Amino acid sequence: MSPGWEGRLDRRELLRAAGLALGTGLAGCALGDTTRGSLEDTRKPFKKAVDGDLVYFNWAQYVDPELLAGFEKRYGVKVRESNFDSMPAMLAKLRAGIAYDVIFPSAEFTQRLISGHFLREIDHDKLKGSDTVYAEFAQPWYDEGSKHTIPYTMYATGLGYRADKVSGLTGSWRDLGNADSGSRSFMLDDFQEGIGMANLVNGHDLNTTDEGELDESLDYLVDLKPKLRGITSDTVTSMTSGNAWLQQLWNGDLVNIRNQVDNPEDYKFQKCKEGIPVGNDTFAIPVNANHPGTALLFIEYMIEPENAARNVEWIGYPMPYQGGPTEAFEGLVADDPSINVTAKDLENGHQFRNLRGEGRLAWDRAWTEFKVS
Amino acid sequence: MDEQRFAIGLLLPGALWLLLLFAVPLGILLAISFGYTDDLGTAIYGTRLDNFEQAFDPVFLPVLLRSVGFALATVVLCVLIGYPVAYYIAVFGGRFKNVLIALVVLPFFVNYLVRTYAWIAMLGDEGLVNGVLDRNVQFLNTPWAVIGGLVYGYLAFMILPIYAALDRMDPALREAGKDLYGGPWQTFRYVTWPHTLPGVLAGTVLVFLPAVGDFVAAQLLGGPDEYMVGNLIQQQFFAAENWPFGAALTTVMMAFLLIWMVLYLRAAAREAREAAA
Repeated sequence: MSPGWEGRLDRRELLRAAGLALGTGLAGCALGDTTRGSLEDTRKPFKKAVDGDLVYFNWAQYVDPELLAGFEKRYGVKVRESNFDSMPAMLAKLRAGIAYDVIFPSAEFTQRLISGHFLREIDHDKLKGSDTVYAEFAQPWYDEGSKHTIPYTMYATGLGYRADKVSGLTGSWRDLGNADSGSRSFMLDDFQEGIGMANLVNGHDLNTTDEGELDESLDYLVDLKPKLRGITSDTVTSMTSGNAWLQQLWNGDLVNIRNQVDNPEDYKFQKCKEGIPVGNDTFAIPVNANHPGTALLFIEYMIEPENAARNVEWIGYPMPYQGGPTEAFEGLVADDPSINVTAKDLENGHQFRNLRGEGRLAWDRAWTEFKVS
Repeated sequence: MDEQRFAIGLLLPGALWLLLLFAVPLGILLAISFGYTDDLGTAIYGTRLDNFEQAFDPVFLPVLLRSVGFALATVVLCVLIGYPVAYYIAVFGGRFKNVLIALVVLPFFVNYLVRTYAWIAMLGDEGLVNGVLDRNVQFLNTPWAVIGGLVYGYLAFMILPIYAALDRMDPALREAGKDLYGGPWQTFRYVTWPHTLPGVLAGTVLVFLPAVGDFVAAQLLGGPDEYMVGNLIQQQFFAAENWPFGAALTTVMMAFLLIWMVLYLRAAAREAREAAA
């Protein structure tokens, strides 16, 4: 015991003791679960049959609502929807132990969830339509043997621009700072996309954690900053309000922008020559789902060709399934096929990987430095 | 004694509520600020000080100063706009007083975020205002847009306490000022203003605190150079997945604000006492 305890306990000592207790009492404990369930839990078999209402957890507006209504009607269940507004927020809810039946994580978060035993294995043989998935997804980097997931959507990052306003485009990421956009250039408010773009511009690996290379990328971004009008991930608002004429964005958002404006043919997509990030989201069933059977039925329902076709038209992002959905998306972007994500893009594109430990901190530091610069 | 027991009974639900939903989360925040994260981004409790070392990095100083500057500008504008509004309602509102106050509060029925989005629609390059003006003014992504958004967001917090102070004030005092040959300005300067100063001070605190920690206005209405402390903290929680560092930043920020608020309130209270004497 500290000597303070022997005499009169004054305020300062009480405070110090309280602080110490607060820290050491909890040291090493995690805020929420770092893993959920065991490997065996993730492998527990389940039947593809209605076993309750569907507790659905997704980005807002990321499935055609009429499809949700159609699912309710066909199986006589309710879809109980809740939304997340970021991947970390989704993970935080799962860590807190809240039970969802179906979730839509990005590839990186899929890998992280699998490593923490958060996801139930899915038997693809039981899943009608799973044979129409693009061959590129048979052995995804984020899910060995595709055991836990099946892809939901694909996306690519590029530059969206107003063909009626912007001049001086050269097919490069550098256009964001150099093209004549009437001081209306915007960048995504996303540390991966920001640093990733700078890495590609400088000819580095998309996922580099090399200190010298990251410094170079940070320098590039700091130089770019004064030429930007804003940094936002709400690209639909920035472009439809006319505030942005040139914007780093995801291809699907451009489809949604085109759906909302009077002159969609003027809104174009540029896949930049230094390389583009491509990625995908997945369907997954959490290990603590109370109704995995209904969830599996839902996934099967969503990848039925006519439903998937309908869905890509509504959300504006392509789904990697042959037949109906592929044709539907091609039709959607017939006047500017570059908006699509092709098999070639998946092959040549660059995919964001999970960075760990020091590498991850280095990216965060670089992004924060860019923001406060 | 019975009365005291009754009072304690009334206090209990609120106290429990505060303990559970305010004190406990605050304790978790403090505890996690000494922690670190694992590979999955989970915050782990610990006894490390490096988050605080990082929080005191001088690169964050401009962001802090900018936030304080924006918040002070917001307070000044809120007084300049809010005082006349409160004065008019309190002195000339008559039987419409309550209706007018309800109108001041009405925008608060709509979420702040939604109201700020409405500003984008109004002030965008191809928005309503530019359409009416038939001009192409870039209102958005400027410091003025951010300060404007903050003023709009928190104005009612200034109007209400000033209105309450004015409403409590005995009109006879103003009449006495006139009887002593004080013009309207002198009456205001020596009678009304000192009497309502506590209301202005309360409003200042109520506006300054949320404004300095705000992230919505800068995120939606600001450009790359309007980054505020709130954005920095929000980024640690939602993008960087570095809750411990975000918690440390929050703790430092709270301590900083608390010190200034205490100093300010003590000085202000003294001035108010002297002015009233």
